[in-house]
Amino acid sequence: MKRTLQIVVLAIGLTLGMVPAMAAPQAYKLRVDGLSCPFCAYGIEKKLGAVKGVQRIEVDIASGTVAVTMAEGATLDEAAARKAVDEAGFSLRSLEQAPAVPQSTLREEAK
Amino acid sequence: MKTVLKTGLIALWLSLGTAWSAPITFNTALPVHEGGYVLREQLVFMKIGDDPTPAGREMEVTGLVSVLGYGLSRDLALFGMLPYLDKRLDMEMSGQDITRSKQGFGDLTLLGRYTAYEYNAPGRTLRIAPFLGVKAPTGDDTARDRLGRLPPQVQPGSGSWDALVGAVLTWQTLDFQIDSQVSYKANREANGFEAGDVAAIDASLQYRLWPRSLGAGVPAFFYGVLEANLVHSAKDRSGGVDDPNSGGTTLFITPGLQYVTRKWIVEAGVQVPVIQNLRGTALESEYVLTAGFRINF
Repeated sequence: MKRTLQIVVLAIGLTLGMVPAMAAPQAYKLRVDGLSCPFCAYGIEKKLGAVKGVQRIEVDIASGTVAVTMAEGATLDEAAARKAVDEAGFSLRSLEQAPAVPQSTLREEAK
Repeated sequence: MKTVLKTGLIALWLSLGTAWSAPITFNTALPVHEGGYVLREQLVFMKIGDDPTPAGREMEVTGLVSVLGYGLSRDLALFGMLPYLDKRLDMEMSGQDITRSKQGFGDLTLLGRYTAYEYNAPGRTLRIAPFLGVKAPTGDDTARDRLGRLPPQVQPGSGSWDALVGAVLTWQTLDFQIDSQVSYKANREANGFEAGDVAAIDASLQYRLWPRSLGAGVPAFFYGVLEANLVHSAKDRSGGVDDPNSGGTTLFITPGLQYVTRKWIVEAGVQVPVIQNLRGTALESEYVLTAGFRINF
């Protein structure tokens, strides 16, 4: 009985511990070719911002990268990202998943 | 005089597609994102004079040029340009000073630009874009004053449907941008007058002066700009006869400055003629001042 109780407590603890991690929004790093001036960045932001589930976009023109953070539970489809970058007039070199952003961080930034 | 005014005004036509981080006096091949708009407002002041005849002709043209661009697709952008012009001609006739002037909207120009070649790499892009346009006679070309009908150079509109064709090349990096353009404007006859066709070759260098090293995010750029415009005008025809006091070649040099952010650009430049090889008694351009802004949305 005592062992069963320990297992139940452990299972509940693990589940509760996993919830925040599972809920953490997905983040992606896009490498964009052809992006080389501030005025160009706006088109990328606008097009990627229109993709369903995108919550935040940060362009870094020096490295030619765009950090995309998704809303909770949403993922970024590579085809959708490629289409958005293409419509902005640029080329998507690569898309890779970045470490998930803790929800608390987004809430702090939103304040 | 017609030639010089035409040579000066070509700067307005050639800047039609310049709605991006781009040259001040002509076009660029950089993209307008699909479904996106760019708006450019440019204030231009042009002074023309140095008359070799006793008439002592001098002309001033102030123009507010509005350009709206729309990205129809990732490669095809459409532009519309409408100037509001204030033209003033001062001269001496029979010992009397005479001023003839007219204000009003000029001719509407519509232009399509297609990105035919594109090479993108990290922090740089190379694009070549041919363009084709038409100038519609929307401006008044029959204005009169107490002396009668105003001469063609003082009319806000030309009265003719004209065609514009060319191609522009852009090489942009994080540190600088180079643009080069060739263009040809075929003018047609209206009211017995036909302005000579205009051919132009343009080049522009925009060099990032600040910030010297790039930080994170999207910092604003402060560009120093140096441009050159070589413009050749054919002779005008009036009543079916070539005007010997028209046509010629002018080389302009334009130093300027641009401040570029992700949403807007402000810029200013002064177009100075360094070589003017004009026919007959054609007036010479003294300078063209240009200041304006662009926004994207």
